[in-house]
Amino acid sequence: MKRKLIAAIGVAGMMVSVAACGSDSKSGGDTKTDGPKTVTVWVMDGSAPEPWIQAVNKEFEAKHKDVKVDVKIQKWDGIQEKVTTALSEDTPPDVIELGNTQTAGYAATGGLAELTEDKAKLGADGWNKGMLPSAELDGKLYAAPWWAANRVVVYDKKAFKDAGVTPPKTRDEWIAGLEKIKSTSKGKTQPLYLPGQSWYVLAGFIWDEGGDLAVKDGDNWKGTLADPKSIEGMNFYKKLQSYSTAPKDKDEATPQQSTDVVPKGGIASWIGLGWEAGGAIKAIEDAKGKADFGYFPIPGKTADKPGSVFFGGSNLAIAERSKNKDLAKEWLALAAGKDQMAKYAQATEGAALPNHDSAAFKAPAGTFAEAMGQAASVGKLTPITEGWANVETNPNPIKEYMTKVLKGQDPKAAAEAADKEITERINKK
Amino acid sequence: MTVHSQGVVTSVPEDAPRKSAGESQTPPPSGSKEVLQRPRGRRGLPTGLLPYLLVAPAVISLVVLLGYPLIRNVILSFQQVNKRELITRKPEWIGVDNYKELLGSSDFWTVVVRSFVFTAVNVLVIMLIGTLIGILLNNLGKKMRLVLSLALVMAWAMPIVASVTVFKWLFDEQFGVANWVMRSLGFAGYEQHNWFETGTSTLVIITVLIAWGSIPFVALNMYAGLTTVGTELYEAARMDGASGWRIFWAVVFPIMKPFFLVTTFLEVIWVFKAFAQVYAMNAGGPDRGSETLPVFAFVEGSGQQHYGMAAAISVLTIVMLIAVMSFYFRLILKQEEEQ
Repeated sequence: MKRKLIAAIGVAGMMVSVAACGSDSKSGGDTKTDGPKTVTVWVMDGSAPEPWIQAVNKEFEAKHKDVKVDVKIQKWDGIQEKVTTALSEDTPPDVIELGNTQTAGYAATGGLAELTEDKAKLGADGWNKGMLPSAELDGKLYAAPWWAANRVVVYDKKAFKDAGVTPPKTRDEWIAGLEKIKSTSKGKTQPLYLPGQSWYVLAGFIWDEGGDLAVKDGDNWKGTLADPKSIEGMNFYKKLQSYSTAPKDKDEATPQQSTDVVPKGGIASWIGLGWEAGGAIKAIEDAKGKADFGYFPIPGKTADKPGSVFFGGSNLAIAERSKNKDLAKEWLALAAGKDQMAKYAQATEGAALPNHDSAAFKAPAGTFAEAMGQAASVGKLTPITEGWANVETNPNPIKEYMTKVLKGQDPKAAAEAADKEITERINKK
Repeated sequence: MTVHSQGVVTSVPEDAPRKSAGESQTPPPSGSKEVLQRPRGRRGLPTGLLPYLLVAPAVISLVVLLGYPLIRNVILSFQQVNKRELITRKPEWIGVDNYKELLGSSDFWTVVVRSFVFTAVNVLVIMLIGTLIGILLNNLGKKMRLVLSLALVMAWAMPIVASVTVFKWLFDEQFGVANWVMRSLGFAGYEQHNWFETGTSTLVIITVLIAWGSIPFVALNMYAGLTTVGTELYEAARMDGASGWRIFWAVVFPIMKPFFLVTTFLEVIWVFKAFAQVYAMNAGGPDRGSETLPVFAFVEGSGQQHYGMAAAISVLTIVMLIAVMSFYFRLILKQEEEQ
């Protein structure tokens, strides 16, 4: 009965396959050396308006016969592991959009092509000075800044009017308004939709108090969530979150607040980016509804200054192993150049700030862009160091910290645990 | 083994050679006398190179698809490969450091204990309910049996990630049906009950999902096995005044023992290495509270980008699974000797 032995070996084989559950999906573009070439471009969900990028590619393809541009749209969630594996391959995507908090980390790995010598061609002189630092490491350029944006409060004009609330200027007014909506709507309307793990929003409150997420300490960095100022920021977040019935252990993308939550109604206000507001309006209109949104910057502690916001954004980088580096650089110069960026600002209706100051879009009153512009002066970045990207990988210690505090744990103890993890990760090369 | 247990379960390895032996009526190419003299059994089996050629595709694909990655995985577990090393392709040899760090960390042992408890509970639930449904199938009328079989096959055929997505929405905190049902039934506190509040509660939901997806396999095989148990055995037992409970343990169970053995061990393997269900449900959260070993390896590897460490975790997982399964192998080998 040898067959039984064989069956047993088969079973052993099944166990071994436990090890093979990793992800080694191949990605990247075609790299035929002769004949038609393809430039592969990875852009993030919500970054590039469809008509705009098509126009860019049309212009590029007209200039370069036999070259095709293949645009692939990626999701933010879990993007780092995808980019890392892509950059390690022989045929990586040629142009990659990288979050401005993550660019330095990838520059340090040697996976990105250095662009210092191409500065003139890329039109670096006209770049926004606030965006540039995130694309550089040790004085060398590794990416072209593309766009930046910050979050504002989106509100349902009708819900605010019904409760007799006007857009607030200070935190106190903000809370008072939410309280009023809560009492007048008798629980039918959620005054503010704020999930427990919206850590970019928390970062703003921490900066308002004078704290930070991490600071440089000698040669190393250390997490500073347990700093009393940072805890003040978290306390305000907790107060704000008490006006929301959003899950305490989820971020704004699960479920996607703009398309899965807000369109279902019953939400008086929420905090989001321009493309999210656009997505929500589209989803409501697709369902034959009518969206009537107003926008105001996140209120500050005093009326003279809006609340600090995370200056989110993206850079466009070229993979070091790209087989079409020159073509990629040309595409980059075109897409991130002044002319196309002016069109970009138009296409996003100012919801994303273009990399050239002169390409900026003049935002009409009452739009998302106008509210965003008011807060741009108080925009801040996460710590600029190559190790910061490690902090953001899942499971993100800042998110876990927020959930713990919102569920009633002692902020100090939870913050110390998170700081320990942040310090360990941020110093990892 | 009794005659009745032939064809029970997934005993493909037992059936297949019989069939081929029956079909090949022509004498083997070598035509040796020895073969012809034997009245039955191995008469029709080919000799020479042919058997090796026939088994070659399976062996080669195993070696290429499992053997090679396994060796690479073991090598990787002795290296430091993080984001930077992966992109520059310059792994650093660090000997057993990955293993030392793992075995010395309490997180790892928590995950190990969790994985074993999770597997035990799942297999128990699956085997129990699966067996009961199998018996039910055997006793149902024709129409109802068809309906139940169809339902089982559909649950079995459902793609994993699709079913996880459905479960996630069923148990969603804000829009979930589960909360609505509890409210409708008049239970308090389900206005926005978070079913994924803790690691344990998350694992309970995952258990429901895995059991739901795996019970059909056990039930249908149980039913297939039961059809081979002769009705005269039941009749004889009843004549002697045995109760249903007694019939199961004295008649059905001994006959079906090989079935229970193989199925249980298959389920142990499947549940222990269940990845998609656990990861897709809550990504091992909250706060890493529902990570089982495969998910732990994935979060460390792909999530945290510590690829060497993840390889070490998966090697240890294999070692553990082999330790558990050695019990099964011993049993098989013992039977081998007896025959």
